[in-house]
Amino acid sequence: MLRILVLVAPLVAGILLGYLLSNRKPVNLNKVTFVAIILLIFSLGFTIGASDEMLNALPRVGLSAIVILLLTVFFSAVLAKAATKAVGMK
Amino acid sequence: MIRYILLVLVIGATMGYLNNSFERPIANSFVSEYLFDFALLLLLFLMGLAFGVNKEALIKLKKARLKVLVLPFSIALGSILGGLVSGYVLGIDAYASMAVCSGFGWYTLAGPLVGQLFGVEFGALGFVVNFLRELLTIVTISLTSKLDKHVPIAFGGATTMDTTLPVIVRYCGNEALITAFASGFTLSAIAPFAITAIATLR
Repeated sequence: MLRILVLVAPLVAGILLGYLLSNRKPVNLNKVTFVAIILLIFSLGFTIGASDEMLNALPRVGLSAIVILLLTVFFSAVLAKAATKAVGMK
Repeated sequence: MIRYILLVLVIGATMGYLNNSFERPIANSFVSEYLFDFALLLLLFLMGLAFGVNKEALIKLKKARLKVLVLPFSIALGSILGGLVSGYVLGIDAYASMAVCSGFGWYTLAGPLVGQLFGVEFGALGFVVNFLRELLTIVTISLTSKLDKHVPIAFGGATTMDTTLPVIVRYCGNEALITAFASGFTLSAIAPFAITAIATLR
């Protein structure tokens, strides 16, 4: 619950600030966003590489995991596409 | 963009692995917690900012309203269906594979929780499947975003409220921000209940 609040707070703050500033001259945020994405993906990779739990489990259950994963994302994508189309979400 | 992402992912994993091999000169928690959270919170703020400036995106959101919930529920149903089918394909306990898939990509939850309810082996499976789901979402984003704007969100599952959100917004545009966040948020909320519910049904 706390985790969700921590994530929602900066998002809402950003949206409010953006809304208030929307009549001003636009500022290009692409570069800062790019750097932040790179930092995020780096720390994600680092966490994986440093996780002994992950590295031990991977070869043991790898093949079944891939089958389950592919079927899961396939059905998720198909149902999501059908459902959003049915309610006219664009 | 995707090239840099993949490159940085590999560099990060290699450094994490080497860091452990050389008795952790960098504290793991520094990267995994502080750096990760710093980048994530900064990104959420920046994406909110870009969204708020965009008046069209706000108007679209007002029109969508409760419809945004259709997406996470269809993703949840699709994931559980995928778990059921793969249970039969692999000839394993279908309840366990459905529980594994109900992590929706949240591997720090699915690993321990499925492990507790279905045993260590399925716990490892829950961990790996859901972790790979997050990875697959990032790796395939340039392809899935071309198919349909909702496909990457479906791939990402619960992770679209944090880790995969910036990548999705980058590829699907600012309008995808709230749809993706709301979907990941809802799936994160459902995941623990779905896993325990499936365990009780068995």
